[in-house]
Amino acid sequence: MRNETELIEQLKNGDETAFRIIVEQWQDLVYNTILGIVQNETEAEDLAQDVFIKVFEKISSFKGDSKLSTWLYRIATTTALDHLRSKKRKKRFGFLQSLSGEGVDKVQVSDFIHPGVSLDNKERAAVLFKAIETLPENQKAAYTLHKLEGLSYRDVSEVLKTTVSAVESLMSRANQNLRKELETYYNRHYR
Amino acid sequence: MTNKEQIQKEIEQTLQSLDGVQRATANPFLFTRIKARMQKQQSGWEKAYSFIARPVVALAVLIMVLGINFIAVYNVVTPTTATTAIETENDINNEYDYMASADSFDDQILNNQ
Repeated sequence: MRNETELIEQLKNGDETAFRIIVEQWQDLVYNTILGIVQNETEAEDLAQDVFIKVFEKISSFKGDSKLSTWLYRIATTTALDHLRSKKRKKRFGFLQSLSGEGVDKVQVSDFIHPGVSLDNKERAAVLFKAIETLPENQKAAYTLHKLEGLSYRDVSEVLKTTVSAVESLMSRANQNLRKELETYYNRHYR
Repeated sequence: MTNKEQIQKEIEQTLQSLDGVQRATANPFLFTRIKARMQKQQSGWEKAYSFIARPVVALAVLIMVLGINFIAVYNVVTPTTATTAIETENDINNEYDYMASADSFDDQILNNQ
């Protein structure tokens, strides 16, 4: 089996086999990270393809200062957040169109259930994912990387190019915000 | 258990619902799909579009358009000034011709007298 440095060098030379190995080795990492952020399986698959195409095109800019997985997490997170931003813009534009009387399909918000959640936790996890959706971008990224990918705060800080204390602060604020959201949700459902 | 305590319990359990979550697996044909997309991108309009979308090309086109506009505006403005100058000159000439003819008319009358 080829090691990471070899694979990167081969990919820089345009080796298709090296590219295939990289995709197969890291596709679940990329897909799961994106899925946690965008909460839609079809979109996550398209975006995972985008990420690997970017990897193929930009591999020459990879200096090897960090691990390949850190670089992949970074591209996956950025791609997913960019996608959410553009979706939000389209939604806003759709709202304006509906105000002007033009017919627009309403965006259906589906309850996302992560395929890796155990059966007895599915309902609660769906509620939690709805709350995660309301988090600001950087908190969402940190929370997803830590909770879904199991990265340590140090690893998250490398992916987000920030300090460990900044990640601690992001996680603390994310937890506070989630508690607030969940409190509102359960208050509504317990009346 | 009070309602508030029950809600707090629900919140804690919900926050823990992602503990031990398994990693979602990607489509096993992901590489094949990526290859197909890359080949599609290489052909036809997508190739042309990616060429046009390059910042260098976009900047060059922008400079060219601005240049053409500048030349067009310059050409429109300059002849107007030149025409005005010619017209003024013609007016002066006409005026002088009139004056000249008026002078000769006066001379004629004076000579006749």
